[in-house]
Amino acid sequence: MIRSLQQIGLLTAKDLRIEARTRQTLGLVVVLGILIVTVLGLGLGSQHQTGSFGAPAVLWVAYLFAGVLCFEKTMGLERQDGALAGLLLSPIDRGVIFAGKLLSNLVLMLVVAAAVTPVGVLFFGFDLSPAPGGFAMVMGLGMLGFAAVGTLFSALVSSTRLQGGLLAMVVFPVILPLVIVSTQLLEKMFREGRPLEASSLAMLVAFDAIFLVASWLLFELILEP
Amino acid sequence: MSMLRTTFRSAYWAIAGLSFGATVYAVFNCTPDEATMGTIQKIFYFHLPLAICTFLSCTVAFVGNIAYLWQRRTKWDDLSAAAANVAVLLCTGVLITGMIWGRCAWGQWWTWSPRLTFSFLLWLLYVVYLMVRTSVTSPQRRAIVSAVYGIVAFLDVPLVYLSASLLPDIHPGHVQLAPAMQLTLAFCFIPVTMLAAGLIAVRFNLNRRERLVSDAQQSEYAAALPFAAVGGAV
Repeated sequence: MIRSLQQIGLLTAKDLRIEARTRQTLGLVVVLGILIVTVLGLGLGSQHQTGSFGAPAVLWVAYLFAGVLCFEKTMGLERQDGALAGLLLSPIDRGVIFAGKLLSNLVLMLVVAAAVTPVGVLFFGFDLSPAPGGFAMVMGLGMLGFAAVGTLFSALVSSTRLQGGLLAMVVFPVILPLVIVSTQLLEKMFREGRPLEASSLAMLVAFDAIFLVASWLLFELILEP
Repeated sequence: MSMLRTTFRSAYWAIAGLSFGATVYAVFNCTPDEATMGTIQKIFYFHLPLAICTFLSCTVAFVGNIAYLWQRRTKWDDLSAAAANVAVLLCTGVLITGMIWGRCAWGQWWTWSPRLTFSFLLWLLYVVYLMVRTSVTSPQRRAIVSAVYGIVAFLDVPLVYLSASLLPDIHPGHVQLAPAMQLTLAFCFIPVTMLAAGLIAVRFNLNRRERLVSDAQQSEYAAALPFAAVGGAV
């Protein structure tokens, strides 16, 4: 158990170290997220139809596209110079590789969210003050499930013809339940001013658990050098 | 043997066609008009069986996916491809009949109510399944990747249902039907289920044959390769 945790830590640290030295992914992804928020803000904001409550949906769009790019990049790193073959040959469980990739994807996505969320909140005049903790929790749980499915299917990238578009196409329909639940919860919390109920949060947690377990079990089947 | 098969096939489709004709007749002549919606409610007799058969086809595809990952036999891959194709077709039918009904009953083609969202997301999941199949070139890899995606998609179905139930609803939930309506509805399941099963079988046979042809082409190519190499060297 402790050994697996150490291995997960090593794998994650390796990914993050590569990212810290090359700074390939984060700059790109953060700018992409801000651009998406800007485009949607210009498209929706000028008509004053959506009001400030469109912000969670807009943020989700930004997170989704930025996240897919993150997953592609972290897995793409392994495709260079046969790194994945080395990883597969090393004496570690495939589930550990999944957990390591998931963790590094989550860290990257948190950084992206930390940069993009203030922009979205500012542009849309969204008032976070009623429940900032609830907002972070709902979005964080949504992202966890998204990252699990994204990490699973990122193993597909580069073994298929449609490189970029495919991952988004495969991941988006699968994680739509998470988007529906979290936007509904945020709507309840911010528009109707109701506190976060444990039962609705439990649904999100259960979805995460299903996505995590299914992805963890299926990951090794589609991972190949 | 092949004559027996042909006879069986013709009889199957003849029965399906006849029962379809009979149900259409029964729907228009043997059932009372619904009190508030009138004639348009009659679309329901095909809407519900189509929806149920969509789930059945998705389940067949799921069983095929699991069986493929377990046994790695190509027939399971062909079966789930066939079932997913039929599921998309039937789900398109569900969406179209539902939209026509919604237009007449609620005055709009589309609203984001739970059942509509659910059937649309189900349709999307399985359309993407078919897209995934076409985008992977190697047959073995395609089978594995699509099996994994198919399993995730099927597991996702209850989640989509649960999450969609959070949306505000205008769809009829539990409806009380007159006995004549119930009988006709039960009768309507026959042609629709026969259509679904028959299409899966036809598509499955087609997939099997396509695979035989591509395997034969590949082995022919592999057999011809050494000579070609020698010829090239000379």
